[in-house]
Amino acid sequence: MMQWTSFVQKAQSFIDPANFTLPTLTSSDRNPSKASLFRQQFRLPDSQNPLQEITAELILPVPHTSGDGPRNLDHAGNRYAGRLHLSERFLCFSTQATSFHPSASLTASTHWAGQTNGTGPSGNGFTIPLCCIRRVERLNSLSHIFSLALTTWNAALGKQQPPGFIPQRFTIQLAGSRQACERFCDGLKKGLREGMKEIENLRIVVNDCYSEYLLSGAKGKAQDGDASDVRQPPDAGLGMIFRYPGDARKLRDRSKMRLWGEYFRENGRNATLIRQPTFHKLIRVGLPNRLRGEVWEVTSGSLYLRLRSPNLYTDTLAKFSGQESLAIDEIEKDLNRSLPEYAGFQSEEGIGRLRRVLTAYSWINAEIGYCQAMNIVVAALLIYMSEAQAFFLLSVLCDRLLPGYYSTTMYGTLLDQKVFESLVEKTMPVLWEHLTKSDVQLSVVSLPWFLSLYINSMPLVFAFRVLDVFFLEGPKVLFQVGLAILRINGEELLDIQDDGSFISVLKSYFSRLDESAHPRSENPKLRAITRFQELMVVAFKEFSQITHQTIIEQREKHKDAVLENIESFAKRTSIRNLGPDSKKLSMDDLGAIYDRYYEVLYDNQQRQKLQEEERRRQEKKRVERTSILGPPVDREVGRVGLGPSPTHMDYDAFREFLAVTAKWAVSDSPRKSSSSEQSSNSFRGWGKAAAWNTKNQPTDHEFMQRLYRKWATDPEEGISLQNVVNGLARLKGPRDIMNNIQYFFDLYDDEGNGTVDREGILRMSEALLFLSRRGFEGTITPTQSVDDLKANDGAHGEDKLSTDEKFLGSVSSFIRRCFEYADPSKPGAKAAEAQQDADEAADKLGSFSIGDDEEEDLLDLDDDTKSDHTAVTEQPAQLAAEEKRDSEHSRTASESANPALDPNNPLHITLPTFRMVILADELLEQFFDSYFPQSFHLSDHGSYAATASSLSSNLTTFSNINAPKPQSSAMSAPSVGGASGGIVPPGRGLRGVLDNIVSDGIRMAAEVKKRMDEAQRELERNALGRGEEEDEEDEEDYDGRTGPTSAPSIVGGISSWGAGAYGADPDRRSVRDADRDLLEGAEVVSMRGKDDASLLDDKDGHHDNTQAPATAAAHAPDNVVSKVEFES
Amino acid sequence: MSESTGANTAKPSSSVKLVLLGEAAVGKSSLVLRFVNNDFQENKEPTIGAAFLTQKCSLPTRTIKFEIWDTAGQERFASLAPMYYRNAQAALVVYDVTKPSSLTKAKHWVAELQRQASPGIVIALVGNKLDLTNDANEAAGEAQAEGEHEPSPAGGDEATEETQEEPDVSNGDARKVPTREASAYAEEEGLLFFETSAKTGHNVVDVFTAIANAIPESSLKSGRGAGAGTGQTSLSGGRPAEDSRVNLGERGAATAKEGCAC
Repeated sequence: MMQWTSFVQKAQSFIDPANFTLPTLTSSDRNPSKASLFRQQFRLPDSQNPLQEITAELILPVPHTSGDGPRNLDHAGNRYAGRLHLSERFLCFSTQATSFHPSASLTASTHWAGQTNGTGPSGNGFTIPLCCIRRVERLNSLSHIFSLALTTWNAALGKQQPPGFIPQRFTIQLAGSRQACERFCDGLKKGLREGMKEIENLRIVVNDCYSEYLLSGAKGKAQDGDASDVRQPPDAGLGMIFRYPGDARKLRDRSKMRLWGEYFRENGRNATLIRQPTFHKLIRVGLPNRLRGEVWEVTSGSLYLRLRSPNLYTDTLAKFSGQESLAIDEIEKDLNRSLPEYAGFQSEEGIGRLRRVLTAYSWINAEIGYCQAMNIVVAALLIYMSEAQAFFLLSVLCDRLLPGYYSTTMYGTLLDQKVFESLVEKTMPVLWEHLTKSDVQLSVVSLPWFLSLYINSMPLVFAFRVLDVFFLEGPKVLFQVGLAILRINGEELLDIQDDGSFISVLKSYFSRLDESAHPRSENPKLRAITRFQELMVVAFKEFSQITHQTIIEQREKHKDAVLENIESFAKRTSIRNLGPDSKKLSMDDLGAIYDRYYEVLYDNQQRQKLQEEERRRQEKKRVERTSILGPPVDREVGRVGLGPSPTHMDYDAFREFLAVTAKWAVSDSPRKSSSSEQSSNSFRGWGKAAAWNTKNQPTDHEFMQRLYRKWATDPEEGISLQNVVNGLARLKGPRDIMNNIQYFFDLYDDEGNGTVDREGILRMSEALLFLSRRGFEGTITPTQSVDDLKANDGAHGEDKLSTDEKFLGSVSSFIRRCFEYADPSKPGAKAAEAQQDADEAADKLGSFSIGDDEEEDLLDLDDDTKSDHTAVTEQPAQLAAEEKRDSEHSRTASESANPALDPNNPLHITLPTFRMVILADELLEQFFDSYFPQSFHLSDHGSYAATASSLSSNLTTFSNINAPKPQSSAMSAPSVGGASGGIVPPGRGLRGVLDNIVSDGIRMAAEVKKRMDEAQRELERNALGRGEEEDEEDEEDYDGRTGPTSAPSIVGGISSWGAGAYGADPDRRSVRDADRDLLEGAEVVSMRGKDDASLLDDKDGHHDNTQAPATAAAHAPDNVVSKVEFES
Repeated sequence: MSESTGANTAKPSSSVKLVLLGEAAVGKSSLVLRFVNNDFQENKEPTIGAAFLTQKCSLPTRTIKFEIWDTAGQERFASLAPMYYRNAQAALVVYDVTKPSSLTKAKHWVAELQRQASPGIVIALVGNKLDLTNDANEAAGEAQAEGEHEPSPAGGDEATEETQEEPDVSNGDARKVPTREASAYAEEEGLLFFETSAKTGHNVVDVFTAIANAIPESSLKSGRGAGAGTGQTSLSGGRPAEDSRVNLGERGAATAKEGCAC
């Protein structure tokens, strides 16, 4: 018979869908993980994961109260079939409600305690912390069944045990293969060993539970007047001081207390409690005052959080004592208006408790901080619980039971209103239609119900009854009660015409909840049923089809729409609040900036999160969260609508922002090109990372750093949306060339004194080349007569080409003119000579850049400094330096006096000079008039994106145009390893040449600077002492500079001419070289098939092209081995 | 509070949905409480989402029944606001005259309403907590506000200027937002403007009366008992414009002459 029932139970467990919410949801990141469902079901802390799981039968002893014989396991009591789960610190057993064996002695059931019994996430069974288990014995059994007898610490933690103490002991029969059972037991053994560490915590936590006091008999003793060594009752809330709400007699508090006492004695209490159907029934009839807080703690699972760190509450208060915050200000405002009708909250005692709990929580979960309505909820909790208990329960509420309700966007609240409305529409279509027709918005009425858990809507006594069930069965209870309220008042509600009458109908209903539901009934029993009881019946019986699953599904369904609403509101508000500067930009532009700003921020955040996960995975250690409270680990992030959004972007994120805004901010060396990307997905763990590489990689340039510093209010903190908008508003506002010129100048005015020194001028020219290196998108058109350059347009036959070329010329004359018109920072500088030499320098810059034989020139430039015969290619700076060393050189005489390059003659330009120089050149003028501001693409992003899509191919040309054609020797190149594998597009000749010219110009400027630095160094050295070693040193220095070992960047840059778009940074250049090598290799490889090519994506370059398949093959057996080990 | 007289009940009655917006703790709920119950409580329960109250306001030609949605002020509740101002015909945007940031917030709300709320919504900008300023006494002493055609009396402006120059030396004036600044803004945006004290009751009823007068007749729907509910829009649309004596353009005059009978 027993077997048969358990078989039926098992069968039912398979039928009941509520039981199988666990592993069905998987990959999609919207669906909760198995772990989170597991935690949800057993109300476990976030640190727990389902480790082991096995089918089992729970066999409880015959209640000792019903028979006087000793406990006998053969005379087993109730049996429950279900699943036994093991997590790191918990042993959980769950079954479904229908498995009740008819030997229950308690019949406290009321007429509604039917269908919904146990359908709450908890079910029947237990959730026992491993530290509560005192002993586990394996029982001998005839039928080879794995039987474990568990003895708990229930009631045994006290110093002396009461006479006739019987430890809590029950049996679990594991059903499964011998191997599976043993594995489970091994896990259990390990967990138990760990659990022993927590026994002290357990002692502390249990001590705060009123049940311990109740069952210890201390209560009786106290009443007997034997007060000598009687412990004080634990804090069961403000109610102990200020009375509990309601009439205790009417609530039949004493009999409830007796029933609970009996239940606890038979089934264990607090941490060791076993849930049987009576448990659920007892909760349905309302908890007794003094046990209410404790049972809430157990059913909600907040007890387990407290068990984990019993002192967290007091520690938090101590840690932040005396500190101030916005949340604290907000809390303070509401303290005096939280349940003011309750005497406890008219006293300093009650208000103090409320203040401390809310404050502590605002510290521990700063993302939520404080939200109005929390004060009401916490005030209600504090009537029945101690501060620490309320603190942990609040945490469970915010994180799990009411997700997103109190967040900064309150999306959870709004979402659940939508869910509620849709449930009303589904279950009461007539009423719904009427409400819609009367233009009554249901959610405005229902919102406070949910937000403050009916505490503000119903009389307190009834609201607490709802809470009793809510903590046991979860959020669906709020919906069921809400629906029942509407159903019961349906007739009246069909008569209402507006919000006002709607609200007044409900108000009067709530005020009469204690009246008889059937006042005119003949049947006295029926007459005795109150409206509240009726409400409970309707809620849990008529709306029993509203399950946790229903709510989850509905939430999923409406989530996007709700979030979008919130986000569009946030965007609207945010844009509107951007201040006067933002008015210079169009609404579309502001919208585009806003979207992009947050997209980049969230992308960044998401990526960091993934990287963090990856890192942890690699470290192979499961890191427990540092704090046990706070937002859950699997919480969603990445949307404005979900809660507090990051408000500042760091420099890296700023670069990304620029990269999607302006062409010039896109890196020249995409880390991955499209072809390799697809195949890289096949790599484990690379799939996610690859997603980001479809975007343009941001580059890094000094100009961007300057922009960052200029825009940010506080560069340390990062750039806010406001900063970005202000920055762009300056540039993209009404077309104003003077403003743009000044803006650019200010970027380089480091001192803020209206001057830019020599260094700055060079940096400016560098930036001009940097900004223009991708062409001008048609914003600049030179007139034909412009320059002194010998660019022959006819030969190239392409306007664009000549524009770029001419711009280069413009930049060189910019340098020249700057130096020409610069003011000496020291009086007495030789201006005339300066001019002459600057001229010369700039001429050279221009000529060699444009020259047809630039390749050779460049080689000369770096290789040869001795041969002053090839003076054309010599750098002025170099010469200046040389001159100091060797006065024999023919040209040194004049160049020695070059103040432009002589650090002894500091000079600077002012804004007017700069302006004049810019305006003197048609192209530069156009640059500042149109190109510079227009290069920031905002709402015209679409068109930009189109052009940008061709960017990457552009870029590869950049580096490849003059690269040596892949030869057979290049086969070995892939061993270098790199990531730019991919494209060597053909036929990019002209553009490539041009790119080279531009990149060379940039490099040129960098080179000039470098030489100047050297000259400076030299000077310093000279100043130190013109000794005899001087020559030697110079020699060394000289050798060092030109030798093949040092300055590899330069040599590399030259030999692989064209590989670098700009070479200001030696490191960058050498990296680029590697890339280029790889490119060559990749081309070869790509012919051999995609799979192999993908191996090139390994950035570390471990995989030799030929070796890689072998390694992969070698890995495979490894996996197998480890798997075997695991199973053994 | 006071029951309508027999004569009043005969007048056409229409309900007006009014929403209160503004920063936390500027006194939105207190204003409503003063208007509805002529009461002032220091410690009010915070508004969860929004509180709903009603009050009738009797004009010479008709009775307006205000359905007041008093929204929560905490910043994060802002995203709930669209729920409440949906279909509102009037809005009271409240700031605290002792707190400049609250005016900024009020401006944001005005902008939001102008863009998102139903077109033709009547917005009143209200500076509350006048009792904390110097002009509180004067205001209470004289009955000037009612006599003036402009909602913001010129005298008030002068007083403000003085206090600006000599900030709270003698009598602890806590005013931080000059009347002129707010009224200039209100004029620019076409808002009604008042400075009130929910504590003393100064100007409170006037605000609601002014709003009642400013609601265009055409946008009124009759109250619950008066019409058949759904057909109201067409009904009022077809109504002859004889009653539209009171409109936005004349609101100053109307405010001055017509007291609210509630």
